[in-house]
Amino acid sequence: MRVLVVTSGVPFIKGGAEILADNLADALRAAGHAAELVCIPFKHYPPDRIPNQILACRLLDLTESCGVRIDRIIGLKFPAYLIPHPNKVIWLLHQHRSAYELWDHPIAGDLIRCPDGPVIREAVRRADREMIPEAKAVYTLSENVSRRLSRFCNISSQPLYNPPAHAKLFHNGSVEDYFFFPSRITGVKRQMLVLQAMARCRKRTVVRFAGEADNPGELAACMQAIQNFRLESRVEWLGWISEERKRELYANCLGVLFPPVDEDYGYITLEAMLSSKPVITCSDSGGPLEFVVNRETGLVADPQPESLAQAMDSLWMDRRFSAALGDAGRARYQDLGISWDHVVEKLLC
Amino acid sequence: MRILIATVKVPFVNGGAEIHAVELRQALIEAGHSAEIVAIPFKWYPPERILDQMLACRLLDLTETASVPVDRLIALKFPAYLIPHPRKVIWLLHQHRQAYDLWQHPLNDLDKYENGADVRAAIQRADTELIPLAAHVFANSRNVALRLRTSCGVEAHPLYHPPQEAGLFYHAPAEDFLYFPSRINPLKRQDLVMEALALTRTPAKVRFSAPATEPALERKCLALARENALAGRVEWLGMVSNEAKRNLYARCLGVLYPPLDEDYGYITLEAMLARKPVITCADSGGPLEFVVHHGTGIVAEPRPEALAAAIDELWENRQTAARWGEAGRQRYDELGIAWDHVVEQLLA
Amino acid sequence: MLKINWFSPLPPAHTGIAHYAMQILPILARRHAVVIWTDQDQVAPAVRRIARVAQYNPAAPPWREINDGTVSIYHLGNDPGVHAGIYCVSIGQPGIVVLHDVSLHDFFFTLAARQGKKHAGYLAALQRWYGDEGRRAGEAYCAGGIRPETMAQEYPMTREAVWNALGVVTHYRRALEELHETPTCPSAALEFPYLASRESSSEKSAARGVARPPFWLVTFGYMNRNRRLGPLLEALAGMRERDQFRLDICGQIWDEGHIRSEIERFGLNSQVNLHGFLSENQLDHKLSVADLAVNLRFPSMGEASLSQLQYWNYGLPTLVTRTGWYASLPEEAAVFVRPEHEVEDIQAHLRAFLADPDAFRAMGERGRQALKNNDPEKYVDALTRFASEVLPLAPGVPALALARKIGTDMTDWLHPVAGSYLLDRASREICRVFGGAGHECSSSD
Repeated sequence: MRVLVVTSGVPFIKGGAEILADNLADALRAAGHAAELVCIPFKHYPPDRIPNQILACRLLDLTESCGVRIDRIIGLKFPAYLIPHPNKVIWLLHQHRSAYELWDHPIAGDLIRCPDGPVIREAVRRADREMIPEAKAVYTLSENVSRRLSRFCNISSQPLYNPPAHAKLFHNGSVEDYFFFPSRITGVKRQMLVLQAMARCRKRTVVRFAGEADNPGELAACMQAIQNFRLESRVEWLGWISEERKRELYANCLGVLFPPVDEDYGYITLEAMLSSKPVITCSDSGGPLEFVVNRETGLVADPQPESLAQAMDSLWMDRRFSAALGDAGRARYQDLGISWDHVVEKLLC
Repeated sequence: MRILIATVKVPFVNGGAEIHAVELRQALIEAGHSAEIVAIPFKWYPPERILDQMLACRLLDLTETASVPVDRLIALKFPAYLIPHPRKVIWLLHQHRQAYDLWQHPLNDLDKYENGADVRAAIQRADTELIPLAAHVFANSRNVALRLRTSCGVEAHPLYHPPQEAGLFYHAPAEDFLYFPSRINPLKRQDLVMEALALTRTPAKVRFSAPATEPALERKCLALARENALAGRVEWLGMVSNEAKRNLYARCLGVLYPPLDEDYGYITLEAMLARKPVITCADSGGPLEFVVHHGTGIVAEPRPEALAAAIDELWENRQTAARWGEAGRQRYDELGIAWDHVVEQLLA
Repeated sequence: MLKINWFSPLPPAHTGIAHYAMQILPILARRHAVVIWTDQDQVAPAVRRIARVAQYNPAAPPWREINDGTVSIYHLGNDPGVHAGIYCVSIGQPGIVVLHDVSLHDFFFTLAARQGKKHAGYLAALQRWYGDEGRRAGEAYCAGGIRPETMAQEYPMTREAVWNALGVVTHYRRALEELHETPTCPSAALEFPYLASRESSSEKSAARGVARPPFWLVTFGYMNRNRRLGPLLEALAGMRERDQFRLDICGQIWDEGHIRSEIERFGLNSQVNLHGFLSENQLDHKLSVADLAVNLRFPSMGEASLSQLQYWNYGLPTLVTRTGWYASLPEEAAVFVRPEHEVEDIQAHLRAFLADPDAFRAMGERGRQALKNNDPEKYVDALTRFASEVLPLAPGVPALALARKIGTDMTDWLHPVAGSYLLDRASREICRVFGGAGHECSSSD
């Protein structure tokens, strides 16, 4: 088949969604299909630009190329999944979240802070409600994304899990004295919450943060917090790291911190499970909760510094407990049967 | 600087324009900038789709990404160069040629549609109004700049760039064949060469490489070969690796490149890098900016007889051919075709 | 239940709209979650007893908090003193705009005058809605060459206030139409709310006693130029039966000296009394004993008249001008004066009154009955029903803005031969995406 993977992206920003799109195209090619990636640039502000770009997507024509039919397009991100095609399948990574569950979120709610926010929110929702059902089938990244799609748009869908990149290369090493927190440095990932928790830990917990900052403001705020809480000696700020180094940091950590706000899916949980490490997440973290079973494969804390501090302390103090959680995580990953072959099969059927 | 390169992409087609964008990005990064490519999918038929996509481009916003300004937008192809941006530089690879120089050309299909003329007028109007809004307008060749001036009254500076992997071309003694390295396409006129071969006095041989994208033309060429008993004189190599291509350049007697009004044409430059003379035609466009008639090659009339005479001339005068090849290389070096220079101009 | 942001002048502001708000808010707050927003320095304690009062700075409205609501209801009228801040918020965040004056020319003119900059914003708005002609008229007006009434009538600028609204409420069905200011969003005409007093009309009639001369005519309120005191005095003066009438003019007069000299000139000193501003009790007394009310307006700004409802509350038959909202009053509850035949019609009506005062009393009684339609409870019902109707149309606001942007952008580069195709294509797609199921799509405008 000739297949286009269709997504939107912010130029210069490469996050999980971009990697997933690449991986999907690779998986399609590996399965013997001609596959290419189409990425439409997206800028979500000021809010009145959003309808522009929805319309831009609707005006594109991916039905054929040089007279030869394109058999299928697979839409991933808003608003690119609105591009029309008679054989479209949507594998929804996420909708435009600040028009939905993050609308009134204190950090991530950006639309609500603009005068025309409410009408733009309604416009985005209307477009999704009307146009997503054009697709022949709607899959989602996770149960969490499906639930939201059903709750806000009354559209039913099926979660379709995918493995992290280079899943086979993750491994377990030794247990050293640090938690690992690999994520983009941004409000919704809540690095700040972890810093606040560290200030309240009874143990001298150590955290290694890896990832680039989305914007300079967020980074500056974290640096300030480290100074204020006197965490200089307990925090390692690694910035961008290679995939190889990331796997090493997973392999040798005590546990993985992943307390985002209502995450869609979260490879980090899966990577931790592949590395046989327990995951500390929060009760409002969304995606990770589909995988982390409290006190079996990790700990689910309340999204409060105290609660998170407690969880960190308990793994820090009980190494045997934390190793047992990590092993159970690895076993659970195996049980779930997450693979690209399965993803490709579903998306092309 | 943070730089975006805006271009269009026809899905599943990967040609010179795509390579060009990638190389530009590479050059920008090597010069210490951040650069990314934004490629808008493009489909040129039915004609009203073109209008849809022009509007789609107008609706995009590449002024900043994640609150950080995009310092420069370098736009390459229609209609991506219509994307608004306060610091836009257009480096025109080409306009939508079917609305310009290829209008009413047998190879055009825009004029075969009922609304073709309207869409052509719309494209010309948009180009005329919006191209001059860019901070600077460059063209990838004098030919393209000239077309822009005649059709839209807009001035552009020609800005040459080297072919891919320019450093890897080399020279070897000439063997008994002319080389025609181009995809088999009516615009490249392989059929004209076949007709010329039927008229040569000498038993000149030609090797064709690169894939056939037009089965009809390939059939026509094969039929011509049969009719004119050219069996032993033409060789169809199909798609060859870059390495094999450079080897063919190195060993050939000269390069045949008689396209119709080509925008630029890496082939001319590659031949010059390999110190080989080029036979091209008076209506070939781009190559004429580089080929000096009887200086670095031959410029023939685009008729089989004329082209046949040119082939014979080269075939019979090996020493002259070698001298012209050397002169071509010299000319290339004099022109200062280099990415450093391109980057400097685009970001000035 | 809706979460309503309410923006209106509030007591102690001296405007009828504050009074209106105090009638509506208690009912609204009983049924919905209401936040009362204000940029006034002072707000009467009575307001705070109704619902939460939140302060906003018009220069930097707290969008986050405002956007937390389901719908915003903005009240606009011609006085920038109390409406400028509300207007600022309303053009930012689309909501329901209640027009207390339908012609807002004076508002935009005065607003621009306050901002200085040689009326640039005012002139640009005139240009936007009325083209070069509008701008030229505005320039002439600024130079003193055109009368304000004419500007208000010819260039009402209403659309400048509501182009971004979700819905528009007026208090008179044909208000927008008559001024040629029909907005792109839906509009509703609601009966102006008025809570009739419980006292029965027979008690009121009793105060008046048996109908016999002299008969008391009454008119009250701020006596602007458009209240037609001149023609009224002229009509009275020209009647042989003038001695059978007395006229009470209650309220401030825009040019009292002029009116006094007119009274003198017509020799109406013994018939006409100027009372100036009266206290509520004094006014109550005047209205209780009056026989006929005079409530003329020309030109009208498309406003509804609270004083008319008050006249009816006292069971008073009323002379009104056949214009704007007044022309829509029930024929059996008022008598009408044609703007172009004012003196003639006033005299005819006064003679008819003398011929059959009881018929006029019955008319006043029917007016009082008609007040049932103005029940504030009903008003709140209708207002919130309208809000619920327009809320699903919210995507239409950015969709329309997008269509406008595209239209403007295209004029820069699109060849006319392709114009209709591309506009049509874009507008059809905009309709499909943002219009909602079964939404009728018409081609571009």
